[in-house]
Amino acid sequence: MKLKRFYGMTFATILSLSALAGCSGNNNNEGSAATAAPETGNTANASAEPKQDPVTLKWALWDWEATAYYQPLIDAYKAEHPNVTIEYVDLGSTDYMTMLSTQLSGGADLDVLTIKDIPGYSNLVKQNHLEPLKGFMGDKNIDPSVYGGTVEQIEVNDEVYALPFRSDFWVVYYNKDLFDKAGVEYPSNDMTFDQYDELARKMTSGSGSEKVYGAHYHTWRSAVQLFGILDGKNNVVGGNYDFLKPTYERILKEQEDGIVMDYATLKTSSTHYSGVFYNNSVAMMNMGSWFIATQIEKVKSGESQSTNWGIVKYPHPDGVEAGTTLGTITSLAVNQKSKNKEAALDFMNFVTGEEGAKVIASTGTIPAIKNDEVISSITSIDGFPTDDNSKAALTTVQTYLEMPMHEKSADIEVILNEAHDNIMTKNASIDEGLKDMNTRVQQLLNN
Amino acid sequence: MVGTNKGIRIGTMVLVYILLFATVLCMLVPYIWMLSSSLKLNKDVFSFPMQWIPANPRWGNFVDIWTRIPLDRFIYNTAKLSIIVTILQLLTSSFAAYAFSKLQFRGKNVLFLGYIATIAIPWQAYMVPQFILMRYMGLNNTHLAIILLQAFSAFGVFLMRQFYQGVPDELCEAARIDGLSEYGIWARIMLPLSKPALSTLTIFTFVATWNDFLGPMIYLTDTKLKTIQIGLRMFISQYSAEYGLIMAASVVSIIPVVIVFLALQKYFVQGVAASGIKG
Amino acid sequence: MQNETILDTKKIPKRHLSKGVRENLVAYSFIAPNFIGFAVFTLVPMFFAFILAFVKWDGANPMKYIGLDNFTRLIKDTTFHKALWNTIVYTIGVVPFTMIVALALAILLNQKIMARNFMRTVFFFPYVASLVAVAAVWNFIFSPTMGPINNILHTLTGIPLEDLPRWAADKHWAMFTVILFTVWKNMGYYMVIYLAGLQGINPELYEAAELDGANAWRRFRNVTIPQLAPTSFFVLMILVINSFKVYDIFINLFAGADNQLNDSTRVMVYQIYNTAFRSLDYGYASAMAIVLFLLVLGITIVQFRGEKKYGQ
Repeated sequence: MKLKRFYGMTFATILSLSALAGCSGNNNNEGSAATAAPETGNTANASAEPKQDPVTLKWALWDWEATAYYQPLIDAYKAEHPNVTIEYVDLGSTDYMTMLSTQLSGGADLDVLTIKDIPGYSNLVKQNHLEPLKGFMGDKNIDPSVYGGTVEQIEVNDEVYALPFRSDFWVVYYNKDLFDKAGVEYPSNDMTFDQYDELARKMTSGSGSEKVYGAHYHTWRSAVQLFGILDGKNNVVGGNYDFLKPTYERILKEQEDGIVMDYATLKTSSTHYSGVFYNNSVAMMNMGSWFIATQIEKVKSGESQSTNWGIVKYPHPDGVEAGTTLGTITSLAVNQKSKNKEAALDFMNFVTGEEGAKVIASTGTIPAIKNDEVISSITSIDGFPTDDNSKAALTTVQTYLEMPMHEKSADIEVILNEAHDNIMTKNASIDEGLKDMNTRVQQLLNN
Repeated sequence: MVGTNKGIRIGTMVLVYILLFATVLCMLVPYIWMLSSSLKLNKDVFSFPMQWIPANPRWGNFVDIWTRIPLDRFIYNTAKLSIIVTILQLLTSSFAAYAFSKLQFRGKNVLFLGYIATIAIPWQAYMVPQFILMRYMGLNNTHLAIILLQAFSAFGVFLMRQFYQGVPDELCEAARIDGLSEYGIWARIMLPLSKPALSTLTIFTFVATWNDFLGPMIYLTDTKLKTIQIGLRMFISQYSAEYGLIMAASVVSIIPVVIVFLALQKYFVQGVAASGIKG
Repeated sequence: MQNETILDTKKIPKRHLSKGVRENLVAYSFIAPNFIGFAVFTLVPMFFAFILAFVKWDGANPMKYIGLDNFTRLIKDTTFHKALWNTIVYTIGVVPFTMIVALALAILLNQKIMARNFMRTVFFFPYVASLVAVAAVWNFIFSPTMGPINNILHTLTGIPLEDLPRWAADKHWAMFTVILFTVWKNMGYYMVIYLAGLQGINPELYEAAELDGANAWRRFRNVTIPQLAPTSFFVLMILVINSFKVYDIFINLFAGADNQLNDSTRVMVYQIYNTAFRSLDYGYASAMAIVLFLLVLGITIVQFRGEKKYGQ
């Protein structure tokens, strides 16, 4: 019977066409969880009398449970704006930006968006999901300079689509007990790459389960590759990566000589950098400042056995000032299709402004607005290393973004990650890997 | 002659048993490892050398998994989805498979081929249009969305149809002569006969829904709607990967599935002789 | 529907619906519940996804029709070719291996041997367990320096650890590792299907064959294999399709923190996913999906014809 099939096809066509139309508009009735009713377990409860109309904002974020500052921020904001309820939507940290982009493309009604990395940010801008902020910033007299130059680095076509609320930079964590045991002097706040390498070699000892590694590089590309950009002469979106050769040579030699753990093993056994530091298996580790809060907490809970620890500034190439390091920013943006734009922008302003910075700092995390008051509040947290070097390590002179803003940064990131993996697992020689990077990125840039 | 045959037979049996037990041991090693890991602190899970029996068993892990994430809620959600989807799949698939196998109608082969062909399309390819459609229908962030996505699959139809192919046509003919309607034939004859296939489909659908990750990931953003697999991922945060807890939760979440499997096992043992094909 | 006998339908004069049409309607009514749900929630999105192959779309901005450009781009795309090649190699490795192992297991565990139920459950376990967990376990066991496999090999053969294959991290051994893993994980699944098929074989056929003097091997060849034809066809089909569609296994086994696969382990669906969601090129990704689909469709049709010829 052809009739049935015909109806089926027509039905299907109509549905798909209306789905196409539904793409751009937002005209469906709210059959799903209505935004007004806070029946989900995710809300921070509103207080009694709303001075204005009650508003519910949906905040897209990741790792709700593991992150210290989300709830305090919501509470602090609620205190000033009792009519605003903030529901969080935890999209998970693995592939967060991809998930966010999918949700937004599908029309999800998220209002405030946490931005995890630059390549994802670049994609969201291309898809026109983010509300442009320069107008808003002008209205509220928001001065971008308090963010230490990072806002300028995420401009796209003279427009800004997100404001940072948190900044992290890389430092070196070291285990004081291990240094004491080996009778070696602690790392200083002014080390060149060679000095760092030397120190790591001095600290490597033992074998088997008793082995102490001088240093540790996590499997992220940024832990190894980005030493190469610290002299400011090159960046990772240029298309030519030969400048990375000395860095890779040095790191691979360390790996061969057993100074650091084998990359292939780390990758396949999903070993986390925190674990090896907690276990007193590594003397030094280069890692981001986000680990400070975690380490403090884990020492308190007993899970981290490296109770006597400190931080120093990142090692630098010869001739470059100490305090030069890598950084990342975590920002907030507003969904362009948000139905509560004003409220969302206000919340964003709160979190990225001075008030938000205070709340964030109180949890041991470094906010984007980094003034002396903020720094001293972090160093005075119970559990933060008490030596002067550690306190001084929080001051930076120049921060290079791990991945600069670029239209094709998402694709470049993919290529760089692959090449890094091939080089570190020895599936490709350094020259082959670098050549691969050069060819593929240039091809990408020229398309 | 008989003596040698028996000797060979015993010899082969012994060999087979040895092989089987060796293989079973290999199969079990990962589970022993999982069990032992579930009692360790995260940082010790991947430590070397491997500790089969943890020095300080952390029974607390099995408590933590319930408090750190709403595991009980997740188990409830996953069970609810798995049961509903499985029942719907069983009914609609066996229903449709009967037509493909035992009835003649226009477009049968083309339609069947079309069905199978769609199994070939990876879900990632039409994931976004599907998401948009669901959103358009207001089904975003609901369990109903997952149910509707999974309950009507070509796979179930395919499986049941293949099984029905093995049922002799004479049975249906005889029933028709006796005056049974097609619906009657399906209910009274095909369904009882196909217990092995139904059990198989039940297990597969149940397990597939139980372990489904990407579907709930995309459609269920409210924490109280999430499923076990998503819950497990919550232990892998940006700054740590808590494998001790992941293993503990995995151990716990396997139990219901094993129960289902064991319960349905006996249906595999159903001989055709019992169902009256003779004569 | 009233009960009818054959006699009745022959005598009653032609009504407004002929028997043929009525039969068709009955058949369609059987298919309807499954088909309608399937059509709305799966077929429609698929249809839409196919349309996408002819446009340029980033998921949010308006679409732009570009005809066959996506397909011509595929022809030159070496990354895509490698992904296609990897997927084919993987499939060729997994399919026969799994079928043989699953069939052997099913036959073995269909006999009356001790602890049969226990063993069936044990073999089925890997399929049931969470992929995240088993992949982590497998990776650890095959870890280049810390895992038992390499350490045992090292002790047995004396080859230093650095020179032993690095399994999942090694571009030469990665495919082997994942094929092994897949067979291990899925053999229980296909064993169960074969068990159901074996249960459906009429024991009288075996009795008859034995009476004719056939030994175990002959019985296997002349009764079991032909009777299992529909089941085998099913297993083959699903195995091939699932192998072509593989994604989760590769991600959990090989992808590091960056969720990426490298050259030697890049498979088709991964490429599709990445192109759509990371590069925001939904149109191009859909074109890839179509190629994948056509490939599998071709193989399916060949197998389908094969079943009709070989089956009853």
